[in-house]
Amino acid sequence: MKKLIISALIVLSAFSCSKDHPIDDDGLLITPRQECYVSNFELLGADYLTVLTKQPVIDTTAQTVSVIVQFGTDLKNLFPQFTLASDCKLDPRIVGKVDFSDLANPKEYTVISGNRQISKTYKVLITVQPR
Amino acid sequence: MQQPYIKYIAIAIIVLTTTIGCTKKEYKIPTPKDTLQNDCIKRTQGPNIVGQTIEFAYAMAILAEKGNLTNAKVEATMEGDAGTWMENKSYYTNNSGVDVGISVGNASVTAKNVTSVAFNKDTNAATLRYYYVIPEAARGQSVSFTFSAESSNGETVSFKMGPYTIAKMDMKKNITLTDGGLMYLSIADMTAYNATDAAAKAASIDLVYLYRNITTSAYNFALVSPAADAQYLPGVTLPGGVTRSTYERRVVNLQDFNLAQMQYGIYIDDLDFQQLNMTNEPNYAINLKQEAGVWVETADHKYRAYVYFNTASTSTKNAVVSMKRYAL
Repeated sequence: MKKLIISALIVLSAFSCSKDHPIDDDGLLITPRQECYVSNFELLGADYLTVLTKQPVIDTTAQTVSVIVQFGTDLKNLFPQFTLASDCKLDPRIVGKVDFSDLANPKEYTVISGNRQISKTYKVLITVQPR
Repeated sequence: MQQPYIKYIAIAIIVLTTTIGCTKKEYKIPTPKDTLQNDCIKRTQGPNIVGQTIEFAYAMAILAEKGNLTNAKVEATMEGDAGTWMENKSYYTNNSGVDVGISVGNASVTAKNVTSVAFNKDTNAATLRYYYVIPEAARGQSVSFTFSAESSNGETVSFKMGPYTIAKMDMKKNITLTDGGLMYLSIADMTAYNATDAAAKAASIDLVYLYRNITTSAYNFALVSPAADAQYLPGVTLPGGVTRSTYERRVVNLQDFNLAQMQYGIYIDDLDFQQLNMTNEPNYAINLKQEAGVWVETADHKYRAYVYFNTASTSTKNAVVSMKRYAL
């Protein structure tokens, strides 16, 4: 019995120390994936309801996300939500409300692939629905 | 583990289970205490708001052979407002689930901070309800209550409740807003005015109510600051001097129990207003509907409020709103 326990401990220690799964500065797993794109986008108002009038148009070539928001949307207090390809991460990270009111200078977000070798910067282009 | 040990442990478990599991405890009717007893619960929940009622149910009982109840009394640390009283009926619930009251005493007498009921029936157990109307003097203070009962054999008993903190906020329910009529809302006055009265009270008009059925966008019901961009006030000519800019944040799914007067169990309290951060918020709220609400902070930073839409009718273009307001 003693031998069995000791052997199990040795095996566990060996596995826990292996460095086959590297992580990045954010503590996220680095994987072999190369995909790097935005697959969906949502924009919520301060009341946590969508402000979009229709589905966003995501151009992965031009690297833009184009949306039309409802008339009267408070552009200073919005919560963007990105859906990314597997294992990708976003920079800058979204930690709360974002001010999108400067329509002349669209906000930019960089998508970084799972292998952390590829990055693509997307612009979020907002159009306000007319009254 | 060795085989014999398992055997012994199994036997031990079976013996213990059998011994404990088969013990039969005979139920005994508890022996009631032979002295005058009492108990009390607070029936109202949520914040205690000036002008509203705090309701208690005070129960008292004595063994029949010891005597009967002669008097029930409540002493508040602060005199209640007009309408403070104690029921002289004791209730039971009938087979249909309806509370049926049976008169057991004279109508309650309230003298300053003391309310009492003198029993006039041979009663040895009763539960009386006490309604305390929160006075203006109690705003921001705390109030406690001492319930007491007397029996014919000279015994007395008492029960302390509280202290209860009385909220600083105000509340006004069911303010009717009419598009083109009573459409100018003052947070300071908690009242809606028409254009003529709004012109006379221009300095206190914070919001303009309107309903627009616009096919190209979702406008619907709106509460807009007079100072908001003109595109948010379509077809509105503001009375002279009505120019305030009010911070606003639209909210859905915040049906405060007191304001909604429905089954919802959410209460907005002083703390919510204290922690509210309205910097950087717009000065308009459009696309509102029934059961939506708006957090508001006045331009002079004197008041924060939550305005709740009880009803909003597209046919009459009218709405009924209720408001909780906190003075900063």
